[in-house]
Amino acid sequence: MSEVQRRKYSQEEKTAIFDGEFMPHIDSMYNFAFRLTFDEDDAKDLVQDTYMKAFRFINSFEQGTNAKAWLFRILKNSFINEYRKKSKQPAKVDYQEVETFYNSDDVDYQSTSDLRAESVKDMLGDEISNALNALAVDFRTVIILADLEGFTYEEMAKILDIPIGTVRSRLHRARNLLKDQLKGYAQSMGYKTEDEEED
Amino acid sequence: MEINEKAPGERKLECSDVSKCFQLLESILDGELVENGKEILQEKLAKCQPCFEHFHLEQAIREVLKTKCTKQPVPRELADSIRQMISKRK
Repeated sequence: MSEVQRRKYSQEEKTAIFDGEFMPHIDSMYNFAFRLTFDEDDAKDLVQDTYMKAFRFINSFEQGTNAKAWLFRILKNSFINEYRKKSKQPAKVDYQEVETFYNSDDVDYQSTSDLRAESVKDMLGDEISNALNALAVDFRTVIILADLEGFTYEEMAKILDIPIGTVRSRLHRARNLLKDQLKGYAQSMGYKTEDEEED
Repeated sequence: MEINEKAPGERKLECSDVSKCFQLLESILDGELVENGKEILQEKLAKCQPCFEHFHLEQAIREVLKTKCTKQPVPRELADSIRQMISKRK
């Protein structure tokens, strides 16, 4: 919460902010919640909880600032504090573990020439979606925020409470893991990869 | 952006600094401000095959994610039930 004590909004102002700045993001919020929980009821609860909290703490929201990022931050924290524990998903690999595993001295920027842009474009929604869902939650989250929702690195840093450099490297690793998943699909579905020459 | 499959011969096949180039390309694709971003991008795509391929692959991935993973149907009653809960608290 902000240290600056803002004036309190009137009841009318609260309603205007809630309807005008918060509610328009419900589709994105639900999509995020569903991709975190993989369960419709949990996603609904998570979105409801987030909006209840948003209303309760509405005085700490500064009108005209980025409402979507503010809401996503609340949703992400609610998920970590409440839903992750009771999630029906089997425990995923802890991020710390994953990060250590992928933490060579440097972020590894390598060419993945065996996956082609054309095969990716031909893939079905389910294949892309499954590949995304297969990632550990911290990797999945940065991809959702960056690619599905279009947040900037700076906004993501605030939503996730991590430095911008970490956003960049985590996002890069997440995309590499996603590419590995997609490569598997491309091969199993018979899409062209570099190994197979065109006739 | 036009993908010209016949062009590779005119581009260098090895990138001299993959790490730096790819990080730069990804930042540009993510919409981050990069000094002279446009010019650098045009030059890389015209002259370097690995950069060209990486850029188009990364671009394709961002496009399919954006177009194919954001259509989760929202339960119709969700917005109403939120509004009801809020109006009770007022």
